[in-house]
Amino acid sequence: MSAAVGSRGRAAAGARRPDALRVVGWVLGTLAAVVTLVAPAVLPRPQLTVYVLTGTAAMVTIGVSLLMGYAGQVSLGQAAFYAIGGYTAGLLAVHGVPTLLALAAAPLVAGGLGALVGLPILRLRGHYLAFATLAFQLILLAVVGQVAFFGGDIGLQGIPQLSLGGEALTGVQAYAWVTWVGVALVLLVTRNIIASRPGRGLRALATSETAAESCGVPVTGYKVTVFALSAAFAGLAGGIYAFFIGYLAPGSFPVLLSFQFVVMAVVGGLGTVWGPVVGAVVITLLVQVLNDLGTRPGMPPYASSVFSYAVYAVLLIVVLLFLPRGLLPALSGLLQRLLPGSRRPRAETAPALTDEAAPTGGARE
Amino acid sequence: MTAFLSYLISGLAIGCTYALVASGFVAIHRVTRVVNFAQGAFPVLAGLTVSSMLGRGLPHGAAELIGIAVAGLAGLVVGVVAIGKRGTPTLASLVITLGLGILAYAVEIVIWGDQPVSYSMLTGSVNIGGARIPTQYFLVIGVTVVTFVALALFFSRTYVGKALSACASNPYAARLTGIDPTRMGLVAFTLGGLLGGLAGVLITPLQPVAFDSDVLLATSGFAAAIFGGLNSAYAALVGGIVLGVLQAFVAGYLDAAYQTEVTLVLIILVMLYQSGRRSALTEELA
Amino acid sequence: MLDVTDLVVRYGKATALDGVSLHVAAGEMVALVGPNGAGKSTLVNTLSGILRAASGSFTVGGRLAQVPEGRQLFPELSVADNLRLGAWRLGRRPGARDPRRIYEILPDLARMARQPAGTLSGGQQQMVAVGRALMADPDILAVDELSLGLAPIVVADLARHLRELNESRGTAVLLIEQNARLAFDLCDRAYVLESGVISASGSSAELGRSEAITRAYLGGLTGTGTS
Repeated sequence: MSAAVGSRGRAAAGARRPDALRVVGWVLGTLAAVVTLVAPAVLPRPQLTVYVLTGTAAMVTIGVSLLMGYAGQVSLGQAAFYAIGGYTAGLLAVHGVPTLLALAAAPLVAGGLGALVGLPILRLRGHYLAFATLAFQLILLAVVGQVAFFGGDIGLQGIPQLSLGGEALTGVQAYAWVTWVGVALVLLVTRNIIASRPGRGLRALATSETAAESCGVPVTGYKVTVFALSAAFAGLAGGIYAFFIGYLAPGSFPVLLSFQFVVMAVVGGLGTVWGPVVGAVVITLLVQVLNDLGTRPGMPPYASSVFSYAVYAVLLIVVLLFLPRGLLPALSGLLQRLLPGSRRPRAETAPALTDEAAPTGGARE
Repeated sequence: MTAFLSYLISGLAIGCTYALVASGFVAIHRVTRVVNFAQGAFPVLAGLTVSSMLGRGLPHGAAELIGIAVAGLAGLVVGVVAIGKRGTPTLASLVITLGLGILAYAVEIVIWGDQPVSYSMLTGSVNIGGARIPTQYFLVIGVTVVTFVALALFFSRTYVGKALSACASNPYAARLTGIDPTRMGLVAFTLGGLLGGLAGVLITPLQPVAFDSDVLLATSGFAAAIFGGLNSAYAALVGGIVLGVLQAFVAGYLDAAYQTEVTLVLIILVMLYQSGRRSALTEELA
Repeated sequence: MLDVTDLVVRYGKATALDGVSLHVAAGEMVALVGPNGAGKSTLVNTLSGILRAASGSFTVGGRLAQVPEGRQLFPELSVADNLRLGAWRLGRRPGARDPRRIYEILPDLARMARQPAGTLSGGQQQMVAVGRALMADPDILAVDELSLGLAPIVVADLARHLRELNESRGTAVLLIEQNARLAFDLCDRAYVLESGVISASGSSAELGRSEAITRAYLGGLTGTGTS
C-alpha cells in the first residue's frame, strides 16, 4: 500500500516519471514503509515519543500541503483543527465514550467544523484568508481557555488510554503503531485525491480560480472540501495526540505550532504526497537537536525557544527564496540529473505559491 | 460620566497607536501588494531600543530618534529579504515576512531577554470633566494626527509619493516609465518600519512591551488597516480609533480578557463584508 | 535610430521571437504588422528593457518610449500626474516634469488634467498614454496596438497626432498593429511578423499590393483610412 503510494506520490500527476526515477521512488517508498513499520519494535522509548510526534505532525502537514500546494490557500491556523480533534476525542473519552469511537469522532468533528468555518472564510483570498485562519485559531484558543467545560486554562486532565477491543494500550510502542496507521491512512486518501479528476481540478484552482471556474470546476465546493479534509487530517492527528499525552491545554496549541506546520509543508515540498512527511521528519529532528543544545548547562532558560524560532524562520525563508518547490522536488530533480536513463520530464505541474499569470506583455525578468 | 470619558480618551490614544501601525501596513501594501506580517516587530524593536538607550543615559528625544531609526532599518531588512529577490511571488513574500517576524522574536530575546520593559515620557495628567487623563495620551493623539496628514500629503503631493502609488496601481506601467518597483518597494518597507517605530515609541509608556507583544500589535494594526482594504491611510486612522475605543469600552465595561476576541471577530466581519463587494476577478488581478 | 539584429526571446521553453531583425531610421515611421501571438508585444517589451533576450541584440540611438498595449495608465492618479510620471527617467532637470509642453501637442489633455485617468474614455486614455510616453522626450516612439478597442474615428484622430509628431519633431515611430490597413496608411515601410519571424518586409505600397498580405490581413477588413 505504502509502496504504491510512494511511487505514485512522487509523480506530478499526469506526467510520466522517467523509469529510473520511478524505480528509485518505489524502492524508497517501500523501504520507508517497512522501516517505519518495524521501527517501533526496536526503538527505545524516548525515540518512540519523537516517532509519535513526528507522525502526528506529518498527518497535519499533509493536510496543510494539500491546502497550500493544491488549492493554493494559505492556512496559518491549522493547529486549531489539531486542537479541535484532540479536545473532541479527549472530552468524549473522559465522559465515558469508548475510546476508539472517540478517536473516530475526532476527524469527523474537525472536518465538519472545517467545512462550517471554511464556507464563509474561503470567500476571502490571499492574505485575508491567511489572516482569517490565524484569527480563527486565536479566537478558538481564547474561548477554550475561558470556558470551564473544556477545562479552562488549566486544561483537560485524565484522558484514558486508547483501548482496542477491550485491551488498553499502555506502551508507547502501541501508540507508535497507531500513528503509523494514521499516517498511512492519510497518505492513501491524499494520493487518491491527487491522482483523481477532482485532483486536477484542484490544481487548476491553485493557478487561477477564474479560469478553473470557467472550465466548470466547482470552485467553492472544491476549496471547502480540501479545507475540511485537511482539517479532518489534523483532527485525527489531534485525537491520537490526546490519547498519547493524556492531557490537553490551550497552551499545547500555540500559534507557533501552526507556523511549524507551514514550515514543514514548505520545506518538504508543497503539493506532493511525500514532501510533507519529509518536511515533518526534518523539522522534528532539527527541533530535537536544538532542544538538546538549548538545555545544555550554561544555556539561558529561553535558549531552546530562541533556537527554534530562529531555525524555523531561517529555514522557511531560505527554502522559499532558493528552493521554492521544497526539499523533495529539489532532491528528485537532482536525482533525475544524476541517474542514467532518466528522461527529462515535463515541467512540474503543482505550483508552489505562484502568482497569477502576468498580464500581456507584463513583467517577466 | 468620568469613566466613559476616560475610556474614550484612553481608547482614542491606544487607537492612534494602532492607526500608526496600520499606516505601516498600508504603506507597504499599497506599493508592493504584500501584507507585512512582521509589522508588529517594528514597534517592539523601537520600544525596546528606546528603553535601552534611556538606560544608558541618553536623553529623551535622542533615544526616541534612535529607536525609530532602528525600526526603519528593520523595515528595510524585511523588505530586502521579502521582495529583494526578483520573481518572489506575493504570497511567498507574505510567508517570508511571517518568518522574519518570528526571527525577530529570537533576536529580541537574545538582546533584551524576555521581560517586558516600559519607560515614561510625559508625566502628569490633565483634568477633563472630572476624569484624570495622562498628558501622554494627548501627545500620542497629536503626533498621530500630524503623521497622518504628512503621510497623505506625501502620497498625493510629492513626486516620489506619486511614484510609490503608481507602483501599487500598475507595476507594469511603472516599470515602463523607468520606476523600479523593487526599489520603491524597499522605500515603502522602510517607511513602514519608521511608522511602526513611531507607534512603538509612543505606546511603550502606555503599555509595557516585550518580545511577544508584536502579535497583538500586528493584529490590531491589521484590523485597523483593513478598514480601508489595506490601501487607504485615512480609513486606517478611522479603523484604528474605532478599534481602540471599542477595546477600551470592552475592557472597561465587560472584561479585558475579551478584547482579543472582539478585535478578531471584528476583523473577520470587515474582511467578509469587503470581499462580498469585490469580484474574484479583481482579486486575482490585484 | 533602432537596429534589431537576430533577436531571440524565450518564455521558458517557448520561443516568442526567433531571430528577428529590423531597422528604423531617424524620423521614419515604420509599421510592424502581424496577427495575435506573433510576438509583437514581446519585441516591444524587450526594446523597453522589461524582457531579456536569449540571444541577438538591438541598439537604440537615443531614447525609446513605449505606448503600451491597452493604455496601462495609473487609474487613480490624475491625467497630469500620469503625465508627470512619464518624465521619471529624465531625473531632476528643470522643467522636465512640467506637462505643459505636452498640452501644446495634445491640447485636449489640458482640459482633463485633473481628472483621474481611470474615468476617461478609451480614446482619451490612449491620448494620455501617448502623452506620457512623450514626456520622456523620446527619439523613437514604440506604439503597441494603438487602435485596440477604439472607434475608427478616434483612431483616425490619434493617427493624425502621430503623423504630426513625426513631421514636426522628427520623432521616429514604430507602429505595432494588428490593423494592417491603418499601419500601411500611416507608415511608409512595414515588416510582417508571424510566429516570431519576419515573414515579409518592404514599402507599404508593395506590401499592400502583395496578394498574400492582402488575403491575410486586408481581405474583409473595412478601411480605417487616416487621410
